[in-house]
Amino acid sequence: MPDSIISIRHLAKRFGHFEAVKDLSLEVHPGDVYGFLGPNGAGKSTTMRCMLSLIKPDRGGIQLFGKNLQQERSAILARVGCLIEKPDFYKFLSAYRNLDLFANISGKPSTKKEIYEMLEFVGLQGREKDKVGGFSHGMRQRLGIAQTLLHNPDLIVLDEPTTGLDPQGIIDMRNLILRLKTEQHKTIVFSSHNLSEVEILCNRMVIIHQGKNIVEGSVQELLNEQEQVIRVQTDSGFLDAALTLCHTLPKTSHTKKLGLDGFEVSMAKSDIPAFNQALVSAGIPVYSVETKRKLEDYFINLLHA
Amino acid sequence: MIFLRSTRNELIKIALKPRSYLGLAAITGLVGIILFALKADGMSMISFVTSSFEQTLRFEGNLLNGNLVAFIVLQMLIVHIPLLVALVTGDLISGEAAMGTLRLLVSKPISRTQLLLSKFLAGGIYTLLIVLWLGFLAVVVGQWLFGIGDLMVLNSDGLVILQADDVNWRYAGGFCVAFLALLTVSSLSITLSCFSDNSIGPIVSTMAIILLFTIIGTLDVPIFDPIRPYLFTTHMASWRSFFEDPMPWESIRNSIYILVGHNLLLIGISLLTFHRKDITV
Repeated sequence: MPDSIISIRHLAKRFGHFEAVKDLSLEVHPGDVYGFLGPNGAGKSTTMRCMLSLIKPDRGGIQLFGKNLQQERSAILARVGCLIEKPDFYKFLSAYRNLDLFANISGKPSTKKEIYEMLEFVGLQGREKDKVGGFSHGMRQRLGIAQTLLHNPDLIVLDEPTTGLDPQGIIDMRNLILRLKTEQHKTIVFSSHNLSEVEILCNRMVIIHQGKNIVEGSVQELLNEQEQVIRVQTDSGFLDAALTLCHTLPKTSHTKKLGLDGFEVSMAKSDIPAFNQALVSAGIPVYSVETKRKLEDYFINLLHA
Repeated sequence: MIFLRSTRNELIKIALKPRSYLGLAAITGLVGIILFALKADGMSMISFVTSSFEQTLRFEGNLLNGNLVAFIVLQMLIVHIPLLVALVTGDLISGEAAMGTLRLLVSKPISRTQLLLSKFLAGGIYTLLIVLWLGFLAVVVGQWLFGIGDLMVLNSDGLVILQADDVNWRYAGGFCVAFLALLTVSSLSITLSCFSDNSIGPIVSTMAIILLFTIIGTLDVPIFDPIRPYLFTTHMASWRSFFEDPMPWESIRNSIYILVGHNLLLIGISLLTFHRKDITV
C-alpha cells in the first residue's frame, strides 16, 4: 500500500479572474479521517472536485493510491466513493433504481441483494421502491451515502455531508463516519464548516483559506490537547471569591473575568474535575462548566494572523 | 463493457422519464387526426388535385390508398418531429447538470468520452424509435385502413405515379434518410446541451437553429447560395427523393454524406467541449 492515499502537490485553479486554489499541497494517509476546514469560498470544494476529476486543475499534480489521476483516472475512481455538496439523484426514479444506475458505472455492478442491504444499512429499508422526488433532504443524504459506499470504495470523499441535516441526522451522519473509520478502516476525507465536527471525527486536518493551505497536520498536535480553556458560570456575589481561589490553585492560569457572573481559566483537561470540586468545597455555586472550543479559537487566530 | 452499461442506463432514464412519451403520444395523436380526416373527407381532396389533370389523364382505381396516406402523413409531420426529438435529446447533458447528477456521473470510473458517446447512442436509439413509430402509423396502419394501391406523387417536376409493388422499398429508404436527418437534430441538441446547465436552453436553441437554417435555405437570395447546399436543413426533405422517377441517386448520396458529416462534426465538438467542461454545478 502506498504511504499516501492522496498526494496533492502545488494545486492551482482559476475561474476567470478568481483564483480559487493557489499552490495547495496536502497528504492523506491510509486510515485517516481527514478534515478540510475553511470558510466559504476557501477552495475546499474546488480541491475536492479536482481530486475527483470534475475540474481540471491549471497547475499541480494529484496522485491517488500512488497513481497519477490524469493518467489512471478510471482505475483510481473505481476505488473512490464520493458525495459532493447536495445529494442529487433522479427524482423520477426510485431509490433502488438510482443506486442500480450509479452502481452500473462504478466499476463493480451490484446485485439487487447488495443494493437492498445497503439501503437497510443507511436506514432506508421499506423505501426502496419510492421515488426520490418524495424524499426529505435527510433521506437523500442517506441515499447519497449508500451510493458512496455501494461499491465498497477504499477512499470516501464527502463534501459537507451534514449540511442541511436536522440534529438527529447530523448525529447519525457522524456515527456513520465513525463506524466507517473504526469498523471498516476506510480512509475518509470530508469538508465541513463545523469546527467541532472536525475536532470530533478527524485525526488529521488541513485549514484552507483563500485557496491556500494555512496549516496541515494531526488534530491533536495542532490543538495541543494538554491545555483547555474552560468557562465557568457562578453567582455574581461569588465571582471575586472564585477568581481569588483560581489564583491560589497551582494548576490554573490565564484567569479572565467574563461579565458579572462568569470567568475563563486555563488548565489541563485532567484537572477540571478537581477544580470544580475545589469551587464547590469553598461554597461557590457552579451553574455551568463549559470547555471552550479550542479549534474555533485556533481557526480564528489563524485566519486573523 | 462500461460503455454498454452506461448506454443501458441512459435508455432506462429515457424510458422512465415521462417527457419521452410526449413525442410518441403527439405523433400518435397527429397521425390519428390526419387518418381520420382523410378517411372522412379524403376523396374530395383527391378530386381537387386530380381535377387539374383530367383534361389529359384518366384516373382509375383506389387513389386514396395507404401509400398515398403515408406520403401525406410524412409530408405533414416530418417538419414537426425535430421538436419532439430535441425535447428528449436536448436534455441529456444539460438536464443532468440542472439536476446535479452530472457531477456524480463524471466522478465515476467511466471516461467522459464513453459517457458522452453512450448518451449519443441512447439519443440515436430514441430517435430511431420515433421514426419507426411514425413509419408504423403512417405506412402499416395507413395501408391497413386505406388498402394498397399505386402511389400518386405531385412534385415540382409534375405528377409521378409509382406502382404499388414498387413503393415499400422506397418508404424503407425514405425513412432511413429521414432518420439520418433527425439523428442530426438529435446530435445538434446534445451538442448544445454540452454548453448549457439548464434543460430548456438546448431545446429552444435547436429549434431556433433549424428555423434559421430553414429560412436561409428557402430565401431566394444569391448571397446564401454557397452555404445552402451544406445546411443540414436543406437535406431534411431528402426522403422525398425516393419518390421520384427516375430516382436522383447522386442527390441522395450527397444528402447522406452531408448529414453523416454533420453528425460526425457535432459529435467531435461535443467531445471537445465536454472534455474541457468543469463540472461546477
